[in-house]
Amino acid sequence: MLTRLQGGRIVDPMNGIDGEVRDLYIRGGRIVAAPADPREADNVIDVSGRVVMAGAIDLHTHIGGGKVNIARMMLPEDHARDPVAARRHPHAGCGHAAPATRTAGYRYAEMGYVACFEPAMLALNARQAHMEMADTPMIDKGGYVLLGNDDFFLRALKQKRDPKFIRDYVAWTLCAAQALAIKVVNPGGINAFKYNQRKLDLDEANSAYGVTPRQILLSLSAAVSDLGLPHPLHIHGCNLGVPGNLATTLDTIRALDGLRVHLTHIQFHSYGTEGDHQFSSGAAQIAEAVNARPDISLDVGQVMFGQTVTESGDTMRQFAGSAYADPKKWVGMDIECDAGCGVVPFRYKNRNFVNALQWAIGLELFLLVDDPWRIFLTTDHPNGAPFTSYPHLIRLLMDRSFRNDMLATINPEAAAASHLGALDREYSLYEIAIMTRAAPARSLGLDGFGSLGVGARAHVTVYEDHENRETMFARPETVLKDGKLIVRDGRVVEEVSGATHVVHPEYDPGIETELSRYFDRFMTIKKDNVRIADDEIRDGGRGELVVHATAAST
Amino acid sequence: MPPRPAFNRKSETTAAVAAVCPFCSLLCDDLELRQTDDRSFKITRNGCARARADFARAPIVSEPLVGGQSTSLENAVVAAARLLKRSEQPLIAGLATDVDGIRAAVDLAERCGGILDHVHGDVMNATTSVLQSRGWYATTLSELRNRADFVLLAGVDLNERYENLSRRCLRPAASLHPKNLRKRRVVYLGGAASAPRDESTECISCRAESMAETLQALLATLKGARLTARSIGGVSRKTLGRLADSMNAAAYAVIVFAPASLGVHRESAIAAICDIADELNREGRGAILSLSGDDGGQTAVSTCTWMTGYPLRVSFGKTLHYDPVANSTNKLMDSGAVDGLVWVDAFGRHPDPPAGNAATVILSSVKTAAAQTAAVYIPVGTPGVDHFSRLLRTDSVVSLPLPGLRHAGLPDVAAVLTAITSRL
Repeated sequence: MLTRLQGGRIVDPMNGIDGEVRDLYIRGGRIVAAPADPREADNVIDVSGRVVMAGAIDLHTHIGGGKVNIARMMLPEDHARDPVAARRHPHAGCGHAAPATRTAGYRYAEMGYVACFEPAMLALNARQAHMEMADTPMIDKGGYVLLGNDDFFLRALKQKRDPKFIRDYVAWTLCAAQALAIKVVNPGGINAFKYNQRKLDLDEANSAYGVTPRQILLSLSAAVSDLGLPHPLHIHGCNLGVPGNLATTLDTIRALDGLRVHLTHIQFHSYGTEGDHQFSSGAAQIAEAVNARPDISLDVGQVMFGQTVTESGDTMRQFAGSAYADPKKWVGMDIECDAGCGVVPFRYKNRNFVNALQWAIGLELFLLVDDPWRIFLTTDHPNGAPFTSYPHLIRLLMDRSFRNDMLATINPEAAAASHLGALDREYSLYEIAIMTRAAPARSLGLDGFGSLGVGARAHVTVYEDHENRETMFARPETVLKDGKLIVRDGRVVEEVSGATHVVHPEYDPGIETELSRYFDRFMTIKKDNVRIADDEIRDGGRGELVVHATAAST
Repeated sequence: MPPRPAFNRKSETTAAVAAVCPFCSLLCDDLELRQTDDRSFKITRNGCARARADFARAPIVSEPLVGGQSTSLENAVVAAARLLKRSEQPLIAGLATDVDGIRAAVDLAERCGGILDHVHGDVMNATTSVLQSRGWYATTLSELRNRADFVLLAGVDLNERYENLSRRCLRPAASLHPKNLRKRRVVYLGGAASAPRDESTECISCRAESMAETLQALLATLKGARLTARSIGGVSRKTLGRLADSMNAAAYAVIVFAPASLGVHRESAIAAICDIADELNREGRGAILSLSGDDGGQTAVSTCTWMTGYPLRVSFGKTLHYDPVANSTNKLMDSGAVDGLVWVDAFGRHPDPPAGNAATVILSSVKTAAAQTAAVYIPVGTPGVDHFSRLLRTDSVVSLPLPGLRHAGLPDVAAVLTAITSRL
């Protein structure tokens, strides 16, 4: 069947198209070239006057795995405040900050998203993360597996094992956990917290292994680069949330000179110590450093005001943050000689100096980093805010007068301490399409995503060109996934399952012998039971496995 | 990478094969067993009393029953669907099954407007309630094995269950940090019949009913309070002082507890355990580890949470409604608030549904007298024995794949519940 989307304004940065009015043709789930005679189309959807973009991609959102489920379990009050009527979606659900899997899938689709990536999957918890993602309908997904705090890796660094050994271990872990990329969280710090170290700076040694975060970052980023993974090392750096961590972040950027890396939720790592509150914005310095380094990409982790819950692998920093839990409860966990997690409910208040400045710092970063191909739109769902706040965030970026009105409502000292009011930049639709479609697709190596070019997967969102950009992006009129109509007038009309994107890099099987011995001697699970079979991802038809090429692929 | 079989063909011979044990929430994956003539299994390595008994069960041989009469699976499914259609308020409980079984149970409950609960719902709900009111700092089995230099076992009798905890975590052959293992002290508080008599082990007896007050007294002692009573819960002030000193001196202290053995003041006892870990974490390190969620309990709680947002005890109506107090199986059955019951017992340890007037459908891997009197009885396979299964471990972090070990021709819970749902 040939479908014709007629008369839309195409915004497709992957192909350099900015608002040109043209028809789009879809057949067999792909975008195809225009036929000689437009009347060949079996199905015509009139989208004249509408804005047409590819399906959106969220490359950093906590949608599945142990810590997400702890948050759900801990916060029935959050769910009760945000019930979903049984007939609203194909299946029941609930949840504002920590929604049920199905609810998350439906809501993402209703906002025009077609792929979402869980950025903190533990190898020892990956099976559960994948089962949760299999129960998240509508969207494609994938996970980044955590390394850098596991005892196996830290022992190997301590023993000065060669880079090939590390590379083999990284590759095995990617395969075993069915992951797309490698993430490191507070390098060495989660492990150090198990030995009661309460802080770990870039060149401070983990007391048990004598290894520093710098060594860990260099070792992992070299392995990721040697393996030719599409996505660079995804780094949650040291000292998250600590006033003055700006210096650590700049040191980290310098330490990784010449390496392609991704610095995640950079807002939480851009704090100075100036002013009466010893808390200030470091956005300008970070942006300057990043603008000068084309091999670095970022996502922001924008803070929005209201109730949410923070979910992180960073036990060290979550323990420190637990003093501010609201409501007053939290969970921390040391996990399987692998990593850890901390789940702390939090309410960002616009009257609070620190929270208000965090909000402003995030926006400053968006506006000061020049290249939208290297900065992605995230709230680090749900750590800065639930993903459902994206449309509001887009309006803040696109509408300077609205932004300044909002600035006037926050803590006045924070407003005065921020340069936000002086920033004139307004994002264009083209730039929004870059940061929510084309750039994440390219960064993750997702062929056929983030594009409306001939041959691309027919993931298409159609928006009413509403003056209020929040209204526009909150409720796309039409969403197609693989050419199929899944959302109409902001509501799911058909439930589909999504694929899981992974890499299977090659490794020397010798590593398995050593790993078997390690798991048998020290762990409480066998190595072969850690590994997730391809069929488990397919999960009786709930999922589909898409293996992406690496420089060294099996 | 070779594909992992969903079914272990070798286990259908008399060869010894590696297996994962589904019968308690430790999910030991280092067992070896071989099939015997009656198609049950004999454990040849690393079993425990419970696993030996449960693996020794031959596959059930029975047709489905409707009104006590043998019938086809198809007819039984139709009868179950008819029963649920007539029911004003159904309850889907027991829920001793695996991830796919819970997925199917959630969909069934949604379709028929049912309530979900687990056979260990009362015990698990005490823990969930502590999570929802204060949270905790927890740890997992491999951390306990390698990191702990002090372990307090509160109300854990390893003779009764979790026997392999000793071999796998408390006194393992090797540790990443051998020093921790050499230094490790293990203190049993409560029913300590199973404690080995050696220098690094201590037993402090304490009745289940007194556990909460004793743990609260330990917390107070840790915080530096001077107790006026000479003993609390039968434990002397001096012993509590010594215990507190050891815990304060430990580099990584773990409090392991079994909620089922903590008596009627279970919730207070669990909260006190969490308080103790928090107190240790002010200056040093400590964590809790709960041993619970047998019969697929942890799996049921976790899977239901991700699918609905709520850890069981949820009802499906215009919106989801979570009521952990009212939606208890015993309360609902006692009050007659439910008139239709689907009772799921795939591990065969709780085949008899709670008494009450509800018309009942039983899915079980064993057959007792209850099968004859139930409206519908459907024999099902045991997860990880008769079919591929995934289960979550007690620490709620690790989940294991369990390949099927024998072809007994029994349907799994997921298939039966899905078939019932499709007829509603």
